[in-house]
Amino acid sequence: MDLFFEQLINGVALGSLYALFGLGFGIVFATLGILNAAQGTYASWAAIVALAAAEHYKLPFIPALLTGVVAAGVIALLVDQVAFQPLRRRGKDMLGALITSIACWIILDSLAGTATGHNSLSFPRGTYPSTMYHLGTIPLPVMQIITIAAMVAVTVGLHVLIRHTRFGAAMRAVGWDQTAASLGGVNPRYVVIITAFIAGSTSGLAGVLGGITTHNVSFMLGEGLMLKGFAAVVVGGYDDVRGTALAGVALGVLEVMTSQYLSSGLRDGITYALLLGFLLLRPRGLFGSLTYSRA
Amino acid sequence: MGTSVRLGPWVFATLAAFAFQTTPALAQGLTPGEYKIGFITENTGPIAQAGQSFWAGAQLAVEDIKSSKYIGASSIVLDPKESGSDAARSIQAMNQFIADRSVIATACCILSPVAGSLKPVVLAAKVPLVIYGATAAGLPQPPWIYSMTILPGPKDTATALLVSDAIKPKTAAYILAADNDAFKGRMAPTQKALEAKGIATAGVVSVLTKDTDFTAAATQAMGLKPDVVLVYATQQAAAGAISALRDRGFTKTIIGNDVLGPEAIYKKMGATVVGIPFPVGFSDTIGVSAEGKSFVNAYKAKFKVSPDSYSAQGYQMVWFVAQGLKSISGTPTRESLSAALAKLEKFDHNVYGGEFMKEGQAQTTGTIVVNWSADGKLVPWTAPK
Amino acid sequence: MQGLWDFWAAYRSTLAFAIVNSFLALSTYAVLSAGILSFATVTYAAFGGFLGARMVLATGIDPMLTLPAAALAGAVLSYLVALIFLRLESHWMALASLALILITRVIVINIPVVTGGVNGMSVPLPVSLELLAVLIALAALVFWRLSVSWYGIAAQSVREDTAVASSLGIAPRKIQTIAFVISGAVGGLGGMLLAGALQFISPDTYFVNIAFTMIAGVVLGGSYHWTGVIIGAAVFTALPVIAQAIIPEFQDVANGIVLLLIMIFLPRGLVDPRAIRLRNKFQLPVAQAIKDTSSTKLDI
Repeated sequence: MDLFFEQLINGVALGSLYALFGLGFGIVFATLGILNAAQGTYASWAAIVALAAAEHYKLPFIPALLTGVVAAGVIALLVDQVAFQPLRRRGKDMLGALITSIACWIILDSLAGTATGHNSLSFPRGTYPSTMYHLGTIPLPVMQIITIAAMVAVTVGLHVLIRHTRFGAAMRAVGWDQTAASLGGVNPRYVVIITAFIAGSTSGLAGVLGGITTHNVSFMLGEGLMLKGFAAVVVGGYDDVRGTALAGVALGVLEVMTSQYLSSGLRDGITYALLLGFLLLRPRGLFGSLTYSRA
Repeated sequence: MGTSVRLGPWVFATLAAFAFQTTPALAQGLTPGEYKIGFITENTGPIAQAGQSFWAGAQLAVEDIKSSKYIGASSIVLDPKESGSDAARSIQAMNQFIADRSVIATACCILSPVAGSLKPVVLAAKVPLVIYGATAAGLPQPPWIYSMTILPGPKDTATALLVSDAIKPKTAAYILAADNDAFKGRMAPTQKALEAKGIATAGVVSVLTKDTDFTAAATQAMGLKPDVVLVYATQQAAAGAISALRDRGFTKTIIGNDVLGPEAIYKKMGATVVGIPFPVGFSDTIGVSAEGKSFVNAYKAKFKVSPDSYSAQGYQMVWFVAQGLKSISGTPTRESLSAALAKLEKFDHNVYGGEFMKEGQAQTTGTIVVNWSADGKLVPWTAPK
Repeated sequence: MQGLWDFWAAYRSTLAFAIVNSFLALSTYAVLSAGILSFATVTYAAFGGFLGARMVLATGIDPMLTLPAAALAGAVLSYLVALIFLRLESHWMALASLALILITRVIVINIPVVTGGVNGMSVPLPVSLELLAVLIALAALVFWRLSVSWYGIAAQSVREDTAVASSLGIAPRKIQTIAFVISGAVGGLGGMLLAGALQFISPDTYFVNIAFTMIAGVVLGGSYHWTGVIIGAAVFTALPVIAQAIIPEFQDVANGIVLLLIMIFLPRGLVDPRAIRLRNKFQLPVAQAIKDTSSTKLDI
């Protein structure tokens, strides 16, 4: 029974990473209407920058983390302005933005590979808290607690931002229709930039925390998070952060439990089958709202 | 004794006549020139770390052969084409090498499936291929295909037996990269050998080579309550699994494999990897021959890091081709080189203290079991008190 | 002359890959021309490729016979996919097709009897350049005839506006299903040709990488005409090879930058029928124009 709880906690911690990443991805999809293939690279780069900050500039944990997060936000902003903004002027076109996001994905991934010397790096011990707590006989590394806490905090914060502030209303308006939003007094350019930054930093946070806990800072970090985060967004409902967070955690738990009690070969299969199932039967996800499209 | 003819000069003259008759053939030897090896590099991609070691070793060998004048005035030139460990790119690179008339031999591959896919291409085109890194057994096919990889499988089993004799565990758990047939093939004989000694298998935990999070796998392995854990996975997965085990408080012995050898692994894992035993094909500090020592010094001087087993394999690969070239008279062709390589049995020059070719597969004798020490050196493994 | 021959021998495989990628791009274009963005071509290709390769290896029949079989397999699969997926809205259709690719890979890994599992399988199927040239010419012919047929025009209208199309008496569902079947047939064939060109297929062969390559090829070449698609695929195949020859260190970055620049500055692709039409219109000789207008007699 102990093993079950231990794996449950592992699942929640892993799922929190997926949830955090998915939140960033979902914001871009919901507000900017873009399937951003480059989102994973924000996570990878956040981890790389945070590692450089911790190793070379000897920053303690929180400042290094924040450096990474801010860096990811800045990169996301740049990608948006360079790759998506020119296409926005020409009108809504998901295909075009997808292609440019793929181009950015290729560029950023390749640069990340060069930055790490094509190796997988680790955060040296001492640059992050490594106390081990115990819940009965179950070991509970403090990084797991930090990850889960971060996910909850960010989810609540984003939910409040999107649903209960004027800026959030502006975000939702821009996501619906940029022209209509500007008629309503919103500056879409400003909203888009801030939104891109927020989305990038959220995924970046997932990247830094993931890089620390998995001892793997490389371009592959982002790739791994990307597919699961995408699944979290679809299953949870792309326009509701609570749904994405819950779905991310659920996917993490499902993954760990499948490995433990069934077989690790089926692990990814179940995730993707779930993803496909939701897309076919309930595309709006668990908590998404129905959208009406004009005929 | 006036009539005694002084034999000396006659003997000398006769011998000289013989010598002059036989030396023309020897004096011809290898036509001086630059001989190109088409080298499929893997300096980017998922196993770039290992790929870079292979490439560095090969480059050093080219220099050493030139400075030692091993093949006289001739030299070897390496023509690299990057494949990123991708089979399709490797095939395209190989086709380009085949078309290049000046390429007399080719070298490739760390991944066994990629090597397998190049085999039919190379056999159809009749160009020699020397595999420098793929670990699957049975790849060589003389006279065209050879492998310089010191196969890790038998060394894994020897290591496991050595360590178990010292620590006497009752149960063993295995962490296996389920999507890698080579590791599956290496684990099976070791598992059988340990079970034959009465060490029960507590369970096998499967991971995937592309995994990034090993917390669940480590928890699963620890849940089996084993006395020793053996890790059979590729570099990133093995490093991740071992880190996760230690992070969660597993203090018992973990047995690794040769992927833990490169210095970069010590830099990455630090204290986590100290004390974990694993076999090495080549060690830069333990049991090194004279040739091995000069290889280590030259490598360190040129590349600023210590060479690992991969560097040694890349290095020997070029020496292998050079030795084949040396035995050819006139201008070598792909056919004559392949025939020469097929005849090669013992290495003139090797860094292992003894290397030989058997049916196209390079082999060494003996197993060195080492672990990383706290100050970043490979030392012979001794059982913990 | 020798140099030219060596150059040809060295780069003939690039040409072969360009043709194979054209098939995959045409398959994507087939549904795109009916207004659907779908990555499912990769699945059809995987189906055709693995099935075809396994059939040849297991039964030893002539590879030429398996080519139509691969196309047929792809068509059947795409019909089934169409039945399930066409109910979805366009956004979700694209995501569902992505999910389909992910699931395909998991399935491929878990049936080693057919696919060789995670290690993949060797495919000693010789696919000659002549055969590829003949096949792509055939495909071009088919797409040309389709584009000027009733189906082609109907597909264009469905792409522009589904509601308007149905008000004109065209059944969008039926057109889109036909589009899917064509896509499946071309995709299955392309998958088998890819297997032959690579001589080795693994679960990673039919995965996200070629999905993005083919969609980039389609958009690059121009998603409004089939010739553009073939050109786009060729350009996108040649690009990495050229980059590798010039700047091996940063070839991936160079690819990405070129793609980015083309998307920003030529959003409708290299071959854009609308731009060509507009250009032709403005090039109409002035004299001809005057003659045309003056030929209308005004009866005053």
